[in-house]
Amino acid sequence: MEAPLVLELKNIHKRFENIHALNGVNFDLRQGETHAVVGENGAGKSTLMRILAGIYTEYEGEYLLAGQPLHLQSPRDALSRGIGMIHQELSVMPELSVAENVFLGRQLTNRFGAVDWRRMNRIAEEELHKLGFEHIDVRAPLGNYSLGTQQVVEVLRVILSGARVLIMDEPTTALSPAEIERLIQLIDTLRQNNRSIIYISHFLDEVMRVADRVTVLRDGQKVSTLNAADTDVHNLISLILGREINVALPAVTAQTDGHTLLEVRDLAADVFTGINLKVQQGEVVGLYGAIGAGHFDLARAIFGMYRYDSGTITVDGKTFPRSFSARYAIENGLAYATESRRKSLFMDEAIYRNVMMPHLQRVGRLLTPQPARELQLAQPQITLTGVHPADPYNPVGQLSGGNQQKVAIARWLPYPPKVFMMAEPTRGMDVGAKSEVLSILRNFRNEGYGVLVISSEPETILTVSDRVVVMSRGRIVAELENKNLDKDVLLRLL
Amino acid sequence: MTTQTSSTSNVPPRKSLLAGLPPWVTTLAPVWTLLALFLFFGLASQSFLRAQNINNILVQISTLAIFGTGMTFVLLTGEIDLGISSTAAISGMIAASLFANLKLAEPIPLLAGLAVGTLLGLLSGVICTRFRIPTFMGTLAASFIGSGLTTYVSKGRTITTLPDYARFLGSGRIFTDAEGKGGFPFIVIVAAICLLIAYLVLRYTRFGRYVYMTGASKSAARLAGVNTNLILVAVLTICGFTAGLAGIVGMGRLGSAQPDPVPSYLLDTISAVVLGGTALTGGRGGIAQTVIGLLIYGTLRNGLDNIPQIDIYLKEFITGVVLIAALIVNVVFSGKSARDKTG
Repeated sequence: MEAPLVLELKNIHKRFENIHALNGVNFDLRQGETHAVVGENGAGKSTLMRILAGIYTEYEGEYLLAGQPLHLQSPRDALSRGIGMIHQELSVMPELSVAENVFLGRQLTNRFGAVDWRRMNRIAEEELHKLGFEHIDVRAPLGNYSLGTQQVVEVLRVILSGARVLIMDEPTTALSPAEIERLIQLIDTLRQNNRSIIYISHFLDEVMRVADRVTVLRDGQKVSTLNAADTDVHNLISLILGREINVALPAVTAQTDGHTLLEVRDLAADVFTGINLKVQQGEVVGLYGAIGAGHFDLARAIFGMYRYDSGTITVDGKTFPRSFSARYAIENGLAYATESRRKSLFMDEAIYRNVMMPHLQRVGRLLTPQPARELQLAQPQITLTGVHPADPYNPVGQLSGGNQQKVAIARWLPYPPKVFMMAEPTRGMDVGAKSEVLSILRNFRNEGYGVLVISSEPETILTVSDRVVVMSRGRIVAELENKNLDKDVLLRLL
Repeated sequence: MTTQTSSTSNVPPRKSLLAGLPPWVTTLAPVWTLLALFLFFGLASQSFLRAQNINNILVQISTLAIFGTGMTFVLLTGEIDLGISSTAAISGMIAASLFANLKLAEPIPLLAGLAVGTLLGLLSGVICTRFRIPTFMGTLAASFIGSGLTTYVSKGRTITTLPDYARFLGSGRIFTDAEGKGGFPFIVIVAAICLLIAYLVLRYTRFGRYVYMTGASKSAARLAGVNTNLILVAVLTICGFTAGLAGIVGMGRLGSAQPDPVPSYLLDTISAVVLGGTALTGGRGGIAQTVIGLLIYGTLRNGLDNIPQIDIYLKEFITGVVLIAALIVNVVFSGKSARDKTG
C-alpha cells in the first residue's frame, strides 16, 4: 500500500525576466519517503525548492499540502506548516552552544520570561540521543564540532520547529565520507519516523542510496519520476543530459610543445591532498569538481592566498618558497581571476583603475603614474577584451556580470602572465558573453600562455579545455584528454 | 578622489530621495553645510566675520588638523585609532621632561617626543596585524599604555618649562611687525604643511592608492597583490607620528605639558574627519574632505561662542544637534542611502 501524499505541486511555471525557469513541473512527496531531485546546474532544482520552501512566492500552478491548496507567503510561513529547508550554506551560529542553535530564534523560557537553559539543554540532549548522536555536548559551542555535526544540529532545529517535510539542498558537498555515512543513517531514521525528505545532490551514487524515488529535471521541465529501485546511475545520467550533446569543439589545435609552465607537486592542505598538476605552454587545463571539491582552494593556494602544509609549486622552472604572497605570485608570472568578481574587483572604481591595480609597482616606483599613463596602458586591454560600454572611467559596478568578468581578465594583460588561472569564467552570464569570454581564453592558449580554468560547470570545462583534471573531495581522481569527452564521464567521475 | 560625472549617463539614475540632483550638489554636501554655517553665523553675530576671529578659528582647529591628517589615513583603510590623545600626551610629556628635567639640548627632546609617538603607532599596528586584533581594541589598549606612561613619566606634575621649538610651533608668529605684534600664527602653517604632504601622498603615490583600495575592499586589494597588513601598519604609524606632533604643538600652544591626556582630542578628531565625508567603513574620502570637516567643526564651535544670546549651558547640546544634522545631510546627499540592504 502506498503512503499518503504529503504535498503535491501541479503544473508549476516560474519565469524570470527572460528565462522560463520552470515549465509545467509536477512533483509529489509521500509520507516517510526520500524523494531525490537531480538535474544539471540551471535545470530548475533550486527554483523548485525555493517555491516549495516559500522563498519564491510568485509562480503559476497549484501547491497542495495534505490535499489542501495553499500559497505560501514566506519561509516562516512554510515552516509553520511543517516544511523546513536545510540550506547548502549552513545558517548555524558557531559561537553559540549546540542547544542554543537547536532552539535558535525560539528559545524556551520559564514562567518568569527568562531563558530556560536547563530545559533547552535537556531536550536538545534527548533529541540528539534519539537520532543516534550521544557524544555531542549540548553545552559546548557548536563551532567546536565538524561541519557534519553542525548539519545534524541544523536538521534537528528544523525538525523541532515542527517540520514534517525537510528539504536538503546539496547536504553532503562539504562533508567527509564518514560524515556522509552518518547523514545517510540520519535520513533513514527520519524516514522511519514518518518524515518526508526532498534530497538534492550532484552525487548520483548517494542519490541511489538514500532515495526511494528520483525526479529528473532538465531545462525547467520534468523528464521523469522513477522508483530508485528501477533505475541506475547510468540511466539517470542519460536522463539528466537528454540527447547526446555534441561538444562542438573548434578543432583543438593544442600547440603543446611540452614546456611546463606550472607544476604542482604533492600539494596538501586541510581541504585537498596529494595534488599533482601540470599546465604546459599553449594548453588549457580544465580543473573540474563539484562545489566543495577543494578545487577553488587549490587555485587560491597556487596564488599564495591559501595556506598549504606541504608540496611544491613551480612556475616556469622557478620553485616558489614555502610561503609566498600574491604579489610574489604576480611578479613571477601568475594571474588569477577568482570565482567571485565582487571580492576581486573594486566596484566603485573606474575600469582603468581596476585594470592597473595589480601592476602599480611595475609602472612607477613611488609615484603613481598620472591617469594618462594608466589609461594608455589599460585602454588596449579594455578594447581587446571587448568590455562594453568601453568608457574606461565607468565604475566597474555599473557593468553587467559578463563585462565585469572581461575587466577581471583585462586586468592581468598589461603585463602578460605566464599562467592564467580563472575560476568560474562564465558564471552567471548569458550565452553571448559566455562564448566571448571562452574565446578570449582560447586566444591566450594560442598565444602561448598556460591557462588553468577552475569550474564546477561541466559545459564550461568541456568547451574550453584541452585536458581535463577532475577533483572530488580534495583529491584528483582523473586526468583526461578532452577528446570525445562527454558530460556523463565527468558526472560519473564525481 | 576624482569624480566622474560623465560616466553615469548610460545608467538609469538612482531613485533616491534626491534623484535627479546633479552630482555637484550631492558630492559637495559638506561644502554646502560649511557655507550654510558660515552664512548663519556671519549674519547672526557681529564679531564672527572679523579677520581676528577667522584667525582664531584657524588656530583653534590647527591641532585637530594635525591629528586629523593621520586619522584620515587610518579611517580610509576602514580601521580606527583610539590611541591618539594619549599618544599626544606621552609625546608632549617626553619632550618636555627631557628638556626640563634632563636638560637635553634642542632639538633632541622634540625628536624624541616624535619618535615615541611614531613608535607607539608602529607597535599597535604590528601587534594588531600580527595577532589579528581588531584595531578598535588594539589601539584602545595602546591608549591606556600611552596615558599610563604619561602619568608615570610626569609623576602627576605639570611641566611648564617647555623647549623653545615647541613653544614656537604652538604659539609662535611669523611676519610680525617691528614691535613683535600681529603676524600669522605658525601653528596654522604646521597644520597646513601636514595636510598638504598627506594630500600629495594620498593623491599621487602608489601607497596612497593602496590605502584607498585596502579600505574599499580588503579581499580585492589582496588579490591584486597588495600587502594589506603592511598598509595597516603604515597608516597606524603615520597616525602615531601626527598624534605625537599634535601633542607637542598643542603643548606649545597651551604653554604646559599636562600629566593627563585630553580625551576630547580623540572624538573631536574623528567627528571632524567624518563630517568632511570620509567614510568610517573606508575607501571614500580624503584630505580635502578632512579640511572641510575641520572647518565645519571649527566654525560651529567658534560661532556659538560669538553669539552672546545663546545660553552657554546649551552650547554642547546645540553642537550635538548640528553635528547630527550635518551627518544626515552627508548621507542623504551622497545618494548612498541603501538600495542593497545586505550592504
